[in-house]
Amino acid sequence: MLPAPGIISPGLPGTPISTMDTPLLDRLFAYVESAHGRSLRGLNEAREQEPRRFAQVAELYLQWLVEARGESGIDAATDAFAQFSTDVNMAQARYERDGAYANKSFEEVYKDHYSDAEAMDGYLWGIYLTNFLWAHHFQIMMFFQDRFMSRLEKDAHLIEIAPGHGGWGAWALAHLPGASLEGYDISPQSIQIANAVAKAAGVDGRAKYVEKDALDLEKVQAESANACICSFLVEHLENPQHLYKVIHHLLKPGGTAFITGALTAAQVDHIYEYRYESELVMMCEKAGLRVLETLSANPMRTLPKAKFMPRSMALLVQKRRNEIY
Amino acid sequence: MSETLARLNEVFQDVFEDEELSVQAETSAKDIDDWDSLMHVNLILAVESAFDVRFTSTEVAGLKDAGELLALIEKKQA
Ligand SMILES: C[S@@+](CC[C@H](N)C(=O)[O-])C[C@H]1O[C@@H](n2cnc3c(N)ncnc32)[C@H](O)[C@@H]1O
Repeated sequence: MLPAPGIISPGLPGTPISTMDTPLLDRLFAYVESAHGRSLRGLNEAREQEPRRFAQVAELYLQWLVEARGESGIDAATDAFAQFSTDVNMAQARYERDGAYANKSFEEVYKDHYSDAEAMDGYLWGIYLTNFLWAHHFQIMMFFQDRFMSRLEKDAHLIEIAPGHGGWGAWALAHLPGASLEGYDISPQSIQIANAVAKAAGVDGRAKYVEKDALDLEKVQAESANACICSFLVEHLENPQHLYKVIHHLLKPGGTAFITGALTAAQVDHIYEYRYESELVMMCEKAGLRVLETLSANPMRTLPKAKFMPRSMALLVQKRRNEIY
Repeated sequence: MSETLARLNEVFQDVFEDEELSVQAETSAKDIDDWDSLMHVNLILAVESAFDVRFTSTEVAGLKDAGELLALIEKKQA
C-alpha cells in the first residue's frame, strides 16, 4: 500500500533514495557483497538510519576517494576498511578477555604504526570509510554537520589536530567558502593523504598540513583559531589532559571545538582507557572548555556476553570567556 | 569428512547455536545469516581455543569460506 499523502514512509524522508544517483556508493556495496559479505549487515545498518543523508555524504566522500586514488580506490579502500574492522573486533575480543587495553607506550605505537607508511596508508583509508560505514560513526558525522559546522562563520580559521585522512576538515572547508585550515599530524602518511583529499575536494588552496606532534602545539600562536577539530586522538595518548589544554591554548575566547574519543573500545593503538563519558567532560572542564553538547554513540551489535560496550563520543565545546562561566 | 572438519563443524554449531548446521568447505556468510563481521571474530576465538592455535587479525580478515579457515587451522597445526 502506498503511504497516504503527507505521510513519509519511515526511514525514507523526502525523495526516495532510488531517485538519487549514487554510482560510487552502488559500486562499493556491490564490491562488499562480492568480496566482504560479512560486512554487509553493518553497512545496511549505517544506511538505514537516514538513507538520503547517508547517500549524499557517502557519495561525496567516495568522489574524493576516487579523485585522490583513481578508479581502483574504492575496492582498495574497502579492503582496508574490512581489515581495519577485523582488527578492531579482534582487539575488542582480546580486551574482553584481558579486562584492559594492551598497555603500550606511545613510543611503541609510533614505531609500529604512525611511522610505517604502508600500514598507515591502509589504516587511514580504512578509517576514512568507517566515518560513514559504521552506523554509530555516521551518527557522529551528522552531529558534526548539525551541531558544529552549522555554527561556524564562513571565513572561520580552523585548526585540525590529528587529521589522519583529512576528511573532517575537507568537509568543513567545502561547506565554508571563505574558511581556511591548518592541520597537524604526527604521521607523514597522514600529511600526504590529507593533502590529496583536500585537493580532491577542491579546497587545497585553503588547507595546509604539517607533520607535528599535537602535544607540541603550544608553540603555535595562542588564540589563533576560531574553531578546532580533534577527532579520535585523545585515546591514543598517554596523558590526554594535556591535549585539552592545547585546544584551549589555540582557540580564541568563545571559539568552539569538535572533539571525539573512544571509550572501552580497544585498538592496537589505543592507550588511554576511558571508561565513562564524564571523564572526557571533566578533562574539557579542567582545561577551561565549556561542554555545550555531547553525543555518545555505540555500535548496534556487540560481541556476545560482552562486559564492555564500546562507545564513540563527540563533544562540542567552547573556550570559556569567564573564570567561572 | 576429515576429523578437523568434523571438529570445526561442532565449533560452528556452538557459535551459531544451530545443531543442524553442516559446514562444507564452500560454506560462507551467504549460507549462514548470522555470520557477520562481529560473529566472525567470535568464531575465530572459539576456533583458537578448540584447536589450541592463535591467529592474527590479518590472517582471518580475508577468509572467504569455511574451507579457507580449515586450511589455515591445518597450516597452524602442521
Ligand atoms: C584514529 S586516527 C584519527 C583520524 C581522523 N581524525 C578521524 O577522526 O578519522 C588517529 C590519528 O592521530 C594521529 N596521531 C597520533 N598521535 C598523535 C600526536 N601525538 N600528534 C599528532 N597526531 C597524532 C595519527 O597519526 C592518526 O592520523
